[in-house]
Amino acid sequence: MKQLHFKTNHDDHLIALLAALAVTIHIIESAFPSPLPGIKPGLANVITLFAFIQYGWKTALQVSLLRVVISSLLLGTFLSPTFLLSLSGALLSLLALVLTQLPFRRHPQHQPGAIGYAIIAAISHMSGQFLVAWYFFIPHPGLFKLLPIFITFAVLLGIVSGIITQFLVKSITQNLQLSDK
Amino acid sequence: MKSTLTFAKTSLNAADIIILFLACALTAWIYITFWFGNHTSGSAETLVLQVAQQPPEEYSLQDDRIIDINGPIGHSLIEIKQGKARFIHSACRNQFCVFHGWLTTPGDTTACLPNRISITLKGNLSEYDALAGGQ
Repeated sequence: MKQLHFKTNHDDHLIALLAALAVTIHIIESAFPSPLPGIKPGLANVITLFAFIQYGWKTALQVSLLRVVISSLLLGTFLSPTFLLSLSGALLSLLALVLTQLPFRRHPQHQPGAIGYAIIAAISHMSGQFLVAWYFFIPHPGLFKLLPIFITFAVLLGIVSGIITQFLVKSITQNLQLSDK
Repeated sequence: MKSTLTFAKTSLNAADIIILFLACALTAWIYITFWFGNHTSGSAETLVLQVAQQPPEEYSLQDDRIIDINGPIGHSLIEIKQGKARFIHSACRNQFCVFHGWLTTPGDTTACLPNRISITLKGNLSEYDALAGGQ
């Protein structure tokens, strides 16, 4: 019998590692009750953010798509409304990150740090989910009364995940420099 | 980076500070728009009136009028004025429907249960209220 062989390179291993981390965080997080439906710390986005800052948007896109699909399969929400919300949030936040980075292409040393990107990602993640929820599931104008609360939490939790990402980036780059020497 | 602000071991550069400022401004603007502004997406256009066991009837909110409805326990009066609607009298004891006041936005509903009359404002947008889905 002929065996299948996949040739994998370093990038594949990296993406698999990051996606596995993100899935783990996502699933642990989904076990905790939330004070308000729709508000979650979103710590899995730390991994996406880290991938984006350290390796660029292509890696981040693959990591976040894998995270959304695999964790929804494991949680049993694949193709359900929850999955759609998760997917739309992930895609919109990555799009916003790419658009934010665009003007800094020539001067990457002036681009925002982890906290700036995290705030952008959190706000766009929340608005993406909110618009999909409003357009497809609850098309009632009263829903917009909740938007200020959601955005407030998005900004606060974005700052928190930005700080975590910054620590992550710092410690990992320090370790890399150490191992290079 | 030269222009970094360090606070509790986290650093913010100029772009971070601009983003933080814009995020706060956006949050403030959203509070003002959606909590204190007169935001409604779509305006109410018709009044849907339902009396026990009968098919619902629709009335336009453009024409000011008073509708006199006969329910199981007596008369109810519903007023339509300037795109709004309310109960002004009902034969019931509690008068909850009257105290509810004006219905102004699409989806607003009130009912006189003893007299088995309910009114709902319908807008031009939403045909349904919510879709329920599994977790």
